[in-house]
Amino acid sequence: MKTILISFLLLFGTPLFAQKTMVLQIQTSAQCGDCKERIETALNQAKGVVYAELNLETKVVDVKFKPAKTNKEALQMVLVNIGYQADDKKANPDALKALPLCCQPGGH
Amino acid sequence: MKIKLFIAALFWSALALGQIRGVVQGADSVQTKPLKNVKITLLGAGTTVYSNEDGTFEILLGKQQPDTLLFVAKGYRSDRLVVTRSDRFLALNVVLVSGQLVQEIVVSKQKDAHGISKLKTLHVEELTSAEFRKAACCNLSESFETNATVDVSMSDAISGAKKIQLLGLDAVYTQLQFENIPFLRGLESAFGMSVIPGTWLESIQITKGTGSVVNGYESMAGLVNFEFKKPKEMPRLGLNLYQNRFGRTELNLQGGQQLSERWHMGLFASGAAVYGNFDDNNDGFRDQALSNTFNLLQRFSYQGPRMEAQLGVQAYADQKIGGQSSYTKASPVGYGMQLASEHLSVFSKTGFFGKKPAQSLGVIAQFKYQNMSGLYGLRNFSGREKRGYLNLIYDDIIYTADHKIKAGASFQALSLSQWAGQPFGAEVVGADRTEWVPGLFAEYAYAGNRLSAVVGARYDQHNLAGGQFSPRAHFKYALTPQLDARLTAGRAWRLPNFVVDNLSLLASSKTWLAPQALQPEVSWNVGASLVQGFTFKKRKGSLSLDAYYTRFSQQLVADRDSLSGAVVFKNLIDNSLATVLQAEFSYAILRGLDLRLAYKFQDVRALFNGEFQTQVLLPRQRIFTNLGYQTRNKRWSYDLTYSRYSAVRLPQGGQGSPWGLLNAQVTRNWKQLELYAGGENLLNVMQYHPIIGAQDPFGEAFDATELWSPIMGWNVYFGLRYTIK
Repeated sequence: MKTILISFLLLFGTPLFAQKTMVLQIQTSAQCGDCKERIETALNQAKGVVYAELNLETKVVDVKFKPAKTNKEALQMVLVNIGYQADDKKANPDALKALPLCCQPGGH
Repeated sequence: MKIKLFIAALFWSALALGQIRGVVQGADSVQTKPLKNVKITLLGAGTTVYSNEDGTFEILLGKQQPDTLLFVAKGYRSDRLVVTRSDRFLALNVVLVSGQLVQEIVVSKQKDAHGISKLKTLHVEELTSAEFRKAACCNLSESFETNATVDVSMSDAISGAKKIQLLGLDAVYTQLQFENIPFLRGLESAFGMSVIPGTWLESIQITKGTGSVVNGYESMAGLVNFEFKKPKEMPRLGLNLYQNRFGRTELNLQGGQQLSERWHMGLFASGAAVYGNFDDNNDGFRDQALSNTFNLLQRFSYQGPRMEAQLGVQAYADQKIGGQSSYTKASPVGYGMQLASEHLSVFSKTGFFGKKPAQSLGVIAQFKYQNMSGLYGLRNFSGREKRGYLNLIYDDIIYTADHKIKAGASFQALSLSQWAGQPFGAEVVGADRTEWVPGLFAEYAYAGNRLSAVVGARYDQHNLAGGQFSPRAHFKYALTPQLDARLTAGRAWRLPNFVVDNLSLLASSKTWLAPQALQPEVSWNVGASLVQGFTFKKRKGSLSLDAYYTRFSQQLVADRDSLSGAVVFKNLIDNSLATVLQAEFSYAILRGLDLRLAYKFQDVRALFNGEFQTQVLLPRQRIFTNLGYQTRNKRWSYDLTYSRYSAVRLPQGGQGSPWGLLNAQVTRNWKQLELYAGGENLLNVMQYHPIIGAQDPFGEAFDATELWSPIMGWNVYFGLRYTIK
């Protein structure tokens, strides 16, 4: 029984899930816990995102998302629009100015 | 066996690895406060952590020792500290000195919603705003509903007023504070808890045992401090709405604003109404009293180079009408309950900083006016209170920050006039009194490698109670880096006020037999606790055990056993005590799924009707379970709380049945908006005849005070929180 279940999962489950969601890593300019909270909130509330978790040491955010609903560029733009660099895309300067001191360039 | 091995493994791993923990603070010319997100690097091992919201951090030592910790924070000078394995018992206290102008440091929500502080010498349980969101309600008494330490119950079946108990003793034996200012005392103690909205709160600290002498002499069972939101850190706008199926609506507003470089202002406003006329048990009485409450608080904060200040003014009005369904204000026919209460208070807290960084002088001042009047049936009550409070605290260190000293003087003045009527006829029990209480105190705190201690004493000269000396001592010892043992012992006292302390007992036809003389209540409290923290499968948990014993050398008790037609107030000498044991376990059983289990045993006894027996209407045992789940993207949170209470003893013999309470809530979070919906008392537990003699409310048998479980059945509520940062 177990074997049948597992083979079913292997046959249908894995490809199905793989197509439904993707995990993306974006290099950000986050500097402190405030940045972490802002980035995670913005991405978690964005369309098509399953979850987003930022590692403060590497400044890389892991985003699990549904490719049918959003894409890499859209997710990068979420970060740009709230004042953070996303991979090679520069932060929106107006949004960057509005961030708290510890998130400003050289804040840490 | 497996569990033993597991625990042994925990001890061993913690010892072998050597975990260092502590708190980082930032000191500038204005103040010293915990710093969050300080980058802390262990240079040899190459590991980096960031300090938490409250400045605390934990880091594992590597193989290379001694190693150097490097602390880096924007706006502060970086600091280095050499650490070795022997420092693993030490709670490091690192103070970074400001490098330039004061920087804005935004403090937001704490990480853990609930926990016992590792660094404090006293056993302090901390509840934060994340914890209050688990039960989206409403006022101070209800904010304890997801907590096992404090019990919430209703005081009578007519007014619906809720009361809290700590260590099996009523709230009057616990010192309540608003940011270290006396709070909800005197006339307010009967109904005041339900007036303050929970959404105004930032956090609550519950200290078991007598607490610090700096705060006063009244903490016989413990000390509960309520921290409200601070003007500097408040959102620009916060809106909260609540509605339940029993016709209760609440609207709470708050907003913070920067007035100038150094001044901030915060404004809080709240309106609450209960308008649902329900009589589900068909006894002719409203199951809940109708009420209207308005509450305003405006506060200011100032931060300057040599001083800081907090100023504020609070005003509220509370009106209740309850009793038989036919009874209204326009046509007061039948048995009714009414309350009209007004409150005005102003407070100020100022701190002046000395030339040395740790030297300061604090001045706390408060003036309060309270006016209250009302009735239970034919029994009127009224009171007027004016209270002034002043506390001066000098803070300094002796040579190093390991030895701290606090000393000061306090002064209280009270003018209280009150009156209460008997059920039949006009005989009056009441008292007018004026109190003058000058006091002196000193406290020494030591923070060592494994041991820390707080030893203090205060002397108060009360014009009615005489001179009272209150020595207190608290110790904490780190048995292992993860296991803390605490001991506490101390004396506390208060001057009782049998009318206000027992106001809800007016909801009965029983005559009151007043005490012979006004005597202070005096108690000794001793307690011990063990808190074991652990990390299992990368998720944190804790296990705590504590026991507290309160022995009254003098206590004023309400004896409801001696006479069937009366409540006898007696001064007992060496004839009452309370023993409370509590065990609590918390662990994240899966990612995002937190479990909390608690068991409490309370044995509260006094001499009632010549027999040393259990306090009436108090459950001897309680089991508490809380399960909280938050999705990985934090969009949804779910909460489930179940409390089981054992049977209670009834006055004049008999037992009330055991009961259980099940509450659940779901919250959906967006960027600025949170929507919540929940249910209370989902098992629909009700005490079907909460009012004895309800058919004849003016008869001799009438009694609405034998209440132990809910009057109303299942409840559903929903609401929203909207925040602009």
